[in-house]
Amino acid sequence: MEQVITGLNSITHPHLEVWDWTVAVYLFLGGLAAGLLVMSAVANLRNWPDDEEGPHCIKGALYAPLILAIGMIFIFLDLERKTNMYWFFLSFQTFSPMSWGAWGITITIPLSFLYGLSTVPAGKRNRMPFAFLKRWSVRLEPHMRKLAMINFGLGIFVGIYTGILLSAMLARPLWNSSILPVLFLNSAISTGAAFLIIVAHKSAVKLFYTKVDIWLIFSEIMIIMLFFYSQYTSTAAAKASAMPFFTLSHEYFFYFLSIMIVAILLPLALVLKLIEMQEDHAETLSSATIFRMNLSAIMVLIGGLIIRFAFIYAGQLSTFS
Amino acid sequence: MPKYVMVIDQARCVGCMACIVSCKNENDVPPDHFRTRVIENVSGKFPKLRMELRSELCNHCDHPPCVYNCPTGASYKNKENGMVLLKKNRCVGCKACIAACPYDARYIHPEHGYADKCTFCSHRVEKGLEPACVKTCIGTSRIFGDIENPDSEVSLLLRDNYSYALKSSAGTDPRVFYINRITKPE
Repeated sequence: MEQVITGLNSITHPHLEVWDWTVAVYLFLGGLAAGLLVMSAVANLRNWPDDEEGPHCIKGALYAPLILAIGMIFIFLDLERKTNMYWFFLSFQTFSPMSWGAWGITITIPLSFLYGLSTVPAGKRNRMPFAFLKRWSVRLEPHMRKLAMINFGLGIFVGIYTGILLSAMLARPLWNSSILPVLFLNSAISTGAAFLIIVAHKSAVKLFYTKVDIWLIFSEIMIIMLFFYSQYTSTAAAKASAMPFFTLSHEYFFYFLSIMIVAILLPLALVLKLIEMQEDHAETLSSATIFRMNLSAIMVLIGGLIIRFAFIYAGQLSTFS
Repeated sequence: MPKYVMVIDQARCVGCMACIVSCKNENDVPPDHFRTRVIENVSGKFPKLRMELRSELCNHCDHPPCVYNCPTGASYKNKENGMVLLKKNRCVGCKACIAACPYDARYIHPEHGYADKCTFCSHRVEKGLEPACVKTCIGTSRIFGDIENPDSEVSLLLRDNYSYALKSSAGTDPRVFYINRITKPE
């Protein structure tokens, strides 16, 4: 069949070209911040053996609002009418995931900041820049556990939201899957744990996140496989939407490459972490151990970034039919 | 309350593209951008060829994904006539509506940045006029009217002919219907 179409818009034909790398980076940073909140809350709420009650991962809570705010800058860059941004906050649209996200992130940034302040130990408060921050930190310290619980929930919300934002798009079969929010949430928490492995100082905390990340990477690999299986066994459009990842051609080379890299990086990071857990670690970790831990964590972070990029671009190749 | 729909009788379309031109002229659609398009499908083997002409536009769905995904309420469904319209001053240009539309009916206005689309020429309909593309259609392929009125031309056409809507399995309940007497329906 020969087809001639008069009146095409380049933004939608031959395929959708509306969201670019800025959205992919936004989803990655949003997921990372969500993961940091969840993971630091888990660490701070956990009953550590032979240890007094207190914050165990202050960096996660402190980095999260900063990373989330940077992510917001990227989504701001994507807006075509930046001066109209205030309309996000003059209305709430029940069915729009983006509206939920705009409000949710607006609530999450200050609350995660307060959580971060509450985790700063008394001995480190003198490093804080402003006097009022020190005062707030002192006042918030007794509420650290409550703030950790709230931020755990907010982290889950933001992590899921980054996936629902895409899965609500009926017109794009690759995105329109209920598995996608689960995948993005899992990836978010996994990247959060990986980030904390890199920035944490205490060996017990590093080892804790390494142990947690083993399960997260394992489940992420399972979810990715299930996602593609469900696409393959679904409608023709859903099946076609997954094909760029499994077609070695000039046109789809980067999609094929992305799934190949993820398929190598995540299992490799998993193996490195499993090897790490086999060893008996001393109180202070050796530089070689720290290097291996950081290497596997970087692999997880790169994997998370590639997943966001691949899904953003590949989803726009797919159309409902 | 009127419920406006468009019926496109494909057999009457001659592919003159006057609908595209009149739409651009009426709505000041910028160059290289379109609110409506015409698809020419040629199938078969020479000399036994068959051509299907199908004009497409915003379907003004009863369950519009673009409205559901709009974070600011800029895209909305007019409760009085069911048209899917845009409050331009509210649009932030997030492009969620463009990604959500199964009919690829929207584009970003290159000058103003909002997600523009067909309005069924609501400014003309309010004055009792037909949309510009309907008015200019030389083959009277495009017919516009109130489906709630049982005596309207669209009601009679839909009652007397087999009609279909594009991508109806999307569950959007489109309000643009096609009558096709020549080719097999999609």
